[in-house]
Amino acid sequence: MLKLKPKIDFEVSVEAEITPQLATLSSDEISNFQVYYGKEKTKLGDLFEISKEGDDAKLVLDGDFSMVKWVGARMDDGEIVVKGDIGDHLGAYMTGGKIVVEGNALDWVGAEMKGGEIVVEGNARNYVGCAYWGDMTGMSGGKITIRGNVSNYIGEKMGGGEIEIFGNAGDFIGTEMKDGTITIHGSCGFVGGDMKGGVIKVKGSFEVVPGFKKVEDGFEGDVNVGGKGKITQF
Amino acid sequence: MHHMLHIKNGIVVDPKNGINAEKMDIFVKEGKIVEESEVDVKEAKVIDASNKLVVAGGFDMHAHIAGSKINTGREMRPEEMRTVRLIAGKFRASIGRVLLTSPAIGYEYAKMGYTTAFEAAQPPVGALHTHEELDAIPMIDKAALPVFGNWHFVLKYVAEKEWEKLRAFLAWALERTKGFGVKVVNPGGVEAWMYGGNCKSLDDEVPGFNVTPREIITGLIQETENLGLCHSVHLHCNNLGTPGNYQTTIETMKLASKFSNDKRQVLHVTHVQFNAYAGSSWRDVASGAAEIAKYVNSVDNITIDMGQPIFGHATAMTGDAPFQFTLHKLTGSRWSNKDSEIEGGAGIVPIAYLPKNPVHALQWAIGLELGLLIDSDRVVLSTDYPNGGPFTEYPYVMAMLMSKKMREKELERVSPYVQKATGLAAIDNEKTLYEIIQMTRSLPARVMGMDNKGHLGIGADADIAIYNLDPLSIDTANDFEAVYKAFKTSAYTIKGGEIIAKDGELVKEIWGRTFWVDATSNASIEAIDSDLNEMFEKYYSLQRQNYGVEEAWLRKPERLVMG
Repeated sequence: MLKLKPKIDFEVSVEAEITPQLATLSSDEISNFQVYYGKEKTKLGDLFEISKEGDDAKLVLDGDFSMVKWVGARMDDGEIVVKGDIGDHLGAYMTGGKIVVEGNALDWVGAEMKGGEIVVEGNARNYVGCAYWGDMTGMSGGKITIRGNVSNYIGEKMGGGEIEIFGNAGDFIGTEMKDGTITIHGSCGFVGGDMKGGVIKVKGSFEVVPGFKKVEDGFEGDVNVGGKGKITQF
Repeated sequence: MHHMLHIKNGIVVDPKNGINAEKMDIFVKEGKIVEESEVDVKEAKVIDASNKLVVAGGFDMHAHIAGSKINTGREMRPEEMRTVRLIAGKFRASIGRVLLTSPAIGYEYAKMGYTTAFEAAQPPVGALHTHEELDAIPMIDKAALPVFGNWHFVLKYVAEKEWEKLRAFLAWALERTKGFGVKVVNPGGVEAWMYGGNCKSLDDEVPGFNVTPREIITGLIQETENLGLCHSVHLHCNNLGTPGNYQTTIETMKLASKFSNDKRQVLHVTHVQFNAYAGSSWRDVASGAAEIAKYVNSVDNITIDMGQPIFGHATAMTGDAPFQFTLHKLTGSRWSNKDSEIEGGAGIVPIAYLPKNPVHALQWAIGLELGLLIDSDRVVLSTDYPNGGPFTEYPYVMAMLMSKKMREKELERVSPYVQKATGLAAIDNEKTLYEIIQMTRSLPARVMGMDNKGHLGIGADADIAIYNLDPLSIDTANDFEAVYKAFKTSAYTIKGGEIIAKDGELVKEIWGRTFWVDATSNASIEAIDSDLNEMFEKYYSLQRQNYGVEEAWLRKPERLVMG
């Protein structure tokens, strides 16, 4: 297990593509791991206090990591526990393993993820499970759970997997969604524009964009793109 | 501050001056190549070029590097902007996968030993934007070719056979846009596209104008020659990207047969790969390269460039708006359409060339066939950046043209459709290093009428590339990997007598010149004065006095006076 703690309050963002794999390296290798502080290249050991206990693939991030981006990006196995807040791009492109955030997350949680699990106990912001701008497919496997609220653009271009939000969400839920499931326990704004497939379930209130037709248990569409997506209330 | 340079013991290949792999010294003073006697050898900085290839800086005569098309491409393709090449520091930030930012374009050319690149299609009404962007590209010399083939003035004057007025208009427009030469894109077809149509053959009438592509092309060649421009008509043919279009291409080339010029071609047909398809549909499409090559080799007034596709990402962007719509329908990819008032239009569609896709593999093979079958004195190496792919892969094309072994290796990974639809596998020709230098240096300079570029003779611009490749010992047919690696990054790139890149690292940021052609003294602009006033009043969204680019607005303009 590897434990990281910020040495300073970060003034600009830190870009650190750290995965649980890091915990299996030697202390020297961990300390010399290259990260960016703003535009400057620097070493992990210069920004964080490092304590290593055993070689198991587990990362514990202790403190305020809200300025730290790309944590868990491309990870394929192991576990990350964040004891505070976390920055953008958490678990982007990940294919396996588990991330638990005890605080809040920011934008792009699980963007284009293919497998594994992310749990955020607090709130997240925009672009949960989305495709990056210009890409064709967002999240395509695995599960993202947000216990709090989220903002706009959730599961855009989603091609599979599951997103579950226990709080409220903003607008543009499942835009251009192709497959997979989005469940929202609270209320949200516009849902399902240009949706081609997949299922969106909302417990509270929501707004359907024009282009969906009423069916027995909810709505189907978006007919503008010949879509067979389903929106239901539960 | 221009230093004197003494490039010592290099192995020089300089086709324009007939030098083929000779060990010699080159002397540079005040940005020019000079005689040894003019340089104080003790003061000059010595560059040891022993066992290295010394050639003129590369000259990309057809690339889309500035203006509204590439800029819209960047907007449409945020995913292209994730590749960080250089973080800002001594140099500016340099970003982009295939679609590069302006600084990245200059830096990547410089690292590869290229020192000149021309923007191949400038929408005239967007001239200011194009020049602003060219001014943001460091390291290289540049110029822009405004597009004429669908401009209402041109259609009108050709229809009325008002040749003096057409000549005056060309001169006026080149001066106003600070343009370099006459680019023509799908003549008449883009105007037809304004009504949802196209001009697929030379005799399709342009809607609203009593004129055909045949007449437009002939008229523009005639008046370009009468004006005495340094570059010929630069043509993107009708019917681009359609099976069977090689016949249109040859028919178009024949229009040049009644014209001639002692110094250069009278018609440059660009990215011919996209216009060299035989067959009747995408099911039976095949290569028409051999027929085109036969024609081009048989005449001495036509040059072409390849438009070679590179497997991987690319972005199709041309002034050929109807073709771009067809491509969008064919691939389902994103599409943007541009309209430039009464001058024409453009379109942008992202594309990826995949080796296993039969059509893409066919296109790849046709580009190579053209490069191999046509005389190196008539075919320029190009990818029509970013239409066929990145210019940073020119070394791949160079190595492929020089090595049959490399081609055989590459053929194994592409769709077998290539074997039956093209003649690539049967071509034994291997270009020599001399011919490759011709295709990337001396020929493009001649095609563009730039006497001081593309060679290392006395008086030439001191744009020099030195590569880690010994022409006396390299076996280009077998050591293709070494050839590729050597051309990918120069040992030295010298621009205007200054070292700007060394061993693939940037050394110094400099600003090249923007060339533009002033032919106004060869024509009577008064003849079209009232027409201009009337058309601007009636059809333009801006007034005549606000149209165009003043020389003082450019960073480093160089006016080339035709007379």
